[in-house]
Amino acid sequence: MTDDIEIKDKAAWDAAEKVADYEHGWSSDIETDFAPKGLNEDTVRFISAKKNEPEWMLEWRLKAFAMWKTMEAPDWAKLNVPPIDYQDAYYYAAPKAKPKLNSLDEVDPEILRVYEKLGIPIAEQKLLAGVEGGEDGGLPQRRVAVDAVFDSVSVATTFRAELERAGVIFRSISEAIKEYPDLVRKYLGKIVPMHDNYFATLNCAVFSDGTFVYIPEGVRCPMELSTYFRINAENTGQFERTLIVADKGSYVSYLEGCTAPMRDENQLHAAVVELVALDDAEIKYSTVQNWYPGDAEGKGGIYNFVTKRALCQGRNSKVSWTQVETGSAVTWKYPSCVLNGENSVGEFYSVAVTNNHQQADTGTKMIHNGKGSRSTIVSKGISAGHSNNTYRGLVRVAPNAEGVRNFTQCDSLLLGSLSGAHTVPYIEVRNPSAQIEHEATTSKISDDQMFYAMARGLNAEEAVALIVNGFAKEVLQQLPMEFAVEAQKLLGISLEGSVG
Amino acid sequence: MLQINNLHANVGDKPILKGLTLSLNAGEIHAIMGPNGAGKSTLGYVLSGRPGYEVTEGSVTFNGQDLLALEPHERAAAGLFLGFQYPVEIPGVSNVQFLREALNAQRKYRGEAPLTGGEFLKVAREQAGALGMDMEMLKRPVNVGFSGGEKKRNEMVQMGIIDPALAILDETDSGLDIDALRTVGDGINRIMRKPDKAVLLITHYQRLLDYVKPDFVHVLDGGRITRTGGADLALELERDGYKELAA
Amino acid sequence: MTVLPTRHDEAWRYSDIDALARAWPLPAPESIIVPAGGTFARTIIQDSGTIHQLDIAIGKGATAAIHVLNTGGDYGRVELNVTLHEGADFKLGAVQIGGGTQTLEVITTVTHAEPGATSSQIVRSVLAGTATGTYLGKVAVARDAQQTDSVQSVKAMLLDRSATANAKPELEIYADDVKCAHGCAIGELDAMGLFYLQARGITPAEAKKLMLQAFVAGVFEGAADEAMLIEAALAKLGDLV
Repeated sequence: MTDDIEIKDKAAWDAAEKVADYEHGWSSDIETDFAPKGLNEDTVRFISAKKNEPEWMLEWRLKAFAMWKTMEAPDWAKLNVPPIDYQDAYYYAAPKAKPKLNSLDEVDPEILRVYEKLGIPIAEQKLLAGVEGGEDGGLPQRRVAVDAVFDSVSVATTFRAELERAGVIFRSISEAIKEYPDLVRKYLGKIVPMHDNYFATLNCAVFSDGTFVYIPEGVRCPMELSTYFRINAENTGQFERTLIVADKGSYVSYLEGCTAPMRDENQLHAAVVELVALDDAEIKYSTVQNWYPGDAEGKGGIYNFVTKRALCQGRNSKVSWTQVETGSAVTWKYPSCVLNGENSVGEFYSVAVTNNHQQADTGTKMIHNGKGSRSTIVSKGISAGHSNNTYRGLVRVAPNAEGVRNFTQCDSLLLGSLSGAHTVPYIEVRNPSAQIEHEATTSKISDDQMFYAMARGLNAEEAVALIVNGFAKEVLQQLPMEFAVEAQKLLGISLEGSVG
Repeated sequence: MLQINNLHANVGDKPILKGLTLSLNAGEIHAIMGPNGAGKSTLGYVLSGRPGYEVTEGSVTFNGQDLLALEPHERAAAGLFLGFQYPVEIPGVSNVQFLREALNAQRKYRGEAPLTGGEFLKVAREQAGALGMDMEMLKRPVNVGFSGGEKKRNEMVQMGIIDPALAILDETDSGLDIDALRTVGDGINRIMRKPDKAVLLITHYQRLLDYVKPDFVHVLDGGRITRTGGADLALELERDGYKELAA
Repeated sequence: MTVLPTRHDEAWRYSDIDALARAWPLPAPESIIVPAGGTFARTIIQDSGTIHQLDIAIGKGATAAIHVLNTGGDYGRVELNVTLHEGADFKLGAVQIGGGTQTLEVITTVTHAEPGATSSQIVRSVLAGTATGTYLGKVAVARDAQQTDSVQSVKAMLLDRSATANAKPELEIYADDVKCAHGCAIGELDAMGLFYLQARGITPAEAKKLMLQAFVAGVFEGAADEAMLIEAALAKLGDLV
């Protein structure tokens, strides 16, 4: 192990490693520190105290909690979610500290295989499993700095020293609140305001950990940054919070991966991600969401209620969201761009796969306030089994935003006649110079396509995987290369059992 | 008829024409040749008033009038016709309707009585026939679904119907096969080679000039006229190329 | 519906609720049943600020065609709730032209309840001043309504800053063997087309009108009173330009 990898909590790290030792859909019995079950002001205080937070942070949380109590969960999405008992969950869980540290350089090939199946890039795998890239000559050249969040705490952040030499701040958000309070306070809750929506407000009150990134002016982040989220403990909600600030002329590519074990109970995940891009800055944010989707009968799985929003504040700023959504029992998620800057650019590339009894209601909002701002939306929805898959999007052009361009393409692919594919776009235009185009199609895999692929030697599942990957190609191409390869495999895995 | 004096023009922030001076008299046919990017099409657009083409210096008079002070449709009514390099498709508007409205708008501007439907169709049939264009095509939406050659032929039919004093023909020969080239060339001679008319042919190649013999040939390079000569100059250019000439 | 809707109700999210309140309560929607094998055609000219609500059930193999010209009043709304049975066909051609502070909307819910039905909706809106024009168009395909073929083409043109065009071309699909293609475009008149017309001597206002005429042309194709509808649309366009 080099000094480039910082293990903040050896026991947690150990636990994170141990948890990888199961088959796909594993669960694990790590000894865990819980907050008392249920949600009240004391829970909020408990979390804040556990994290040794400054007073302002606690007050902020308490304000959010008071607000949340007066709010109601949104019901406009095409989702059938049973009422959630917010008192029947843990809001803080951290792997219990153990005295003994394990060696980090023994990577079980079985673990690698499992990670591979999950779609986490090789370089990142080795980091996660505890082998730092610089020491092993056999590793790929491209490196990814990782923040691993396990239940409610960040267990490790890699490559910190090297990033710091470039001026990049890459921290768990808990650390950032203490180390860079001014920077955090300047932006936290400014892109997604505290009152934004029920789940975002809840997150403000009880967020446990997450990632903070600051790229200084003119800096191109020397490596990809990544956060790997893992819900492990039973009945535990994960409420992570991510804040990325790209100062003038900077660039960063950020990857997010998530998994959870197989459980009969539904677990709640309500994250908030805020991005800010100043003049000429660019943020590329890629997600492969592979939370546990529940079993074939629809039992268990993660409820994934996520608020992601980017503020393209500067001239020529650009934010690109790419998501591959294959997991979760319920997904409610609309990564959006507020395009305030002149000639700013927003992009949303999405593949959402639902199978069995999964439900996804996902899409984006492009709010054009800046002159000459442009956006592109490409959404590919694939529905199989008894699932429902909805694209929901908004394109809005303000009266003073001259010369706005938007292009939206929404394609749905249905596998089998028991699933549903829906498209709900809202287009609101108030400036005559805008050019807005929306196209939507719905199709199925034709018998001819299947026959052709199978006549060339593929079995039915391979043929479907091939055709689905072709269907999603435009989006997969947007992912960093290693991620794209894994995402392709993931699409195939997610659709297993969807053809007879 | 047309006096262009020290014309400077920008497209966006980029200067394209940089002091162009040129004079056309009635009864003359001029050809402007030059390499790609010399500003040939820009000249056509500036003279016809396309938005986004900004004159920064110089003057243009057309039959004694300040051309640059006129709106595009006023320039057309004053007798200026631009043959487009890429004729625009207008779905939903038929050629017949378009041309009749155009012609009558110009007549109205000049204080002339509008043509009746019958009178107009007679002129249209005549011109379409002379250029070998089917009347059925005139009933179709403007340029929609037309091939490149058909679009250029349609421009000539329009020129015949509108009967302008000055035609600026921008790469009218591009996209034409040899037969169409002859038809178009004959059309230009028939409609425009008259003592009270003038033509400015903008072209990259010499081949149209085999059919429409110019009185003057100008070389446009770097936004200004660098050389002027007779019809022979075009042949010289064809043989030696623009590079040779610039050297 | 007995309670006055608010803008939180999806079908009324862009409506002029004050104007609606004055018309409230609305009479029950007109119910039209097209029997199996039958044909039905209706032209709706909304020129006085009224609310039209129609429920149309189209029987097996039957066809229905509705043409709408929505132009008049402070608040005009045409709402169609269409159910298609096996092999039925529904066609809508709608034009809305608004200026001043008008709020005009066309709302359609087209449900393919059984296999083999076809539907098409063509909607064109032209909006000036601070007018608001909305099209909410939902196509729902029920489970087992295989071989559905549905097309929707939605276009809007804004003539002034602060005029508003809203569109929601929605699909809700529960069958896999369907063809649904939706297109929506909002923009301004093609600048090159306008220049081309002007270079042939047509005044800017006439050129604009000609382009707008082309924009709405075709929507009324097949209507019994096509010529009258086009003339009425042109008259309204003439007022705006």
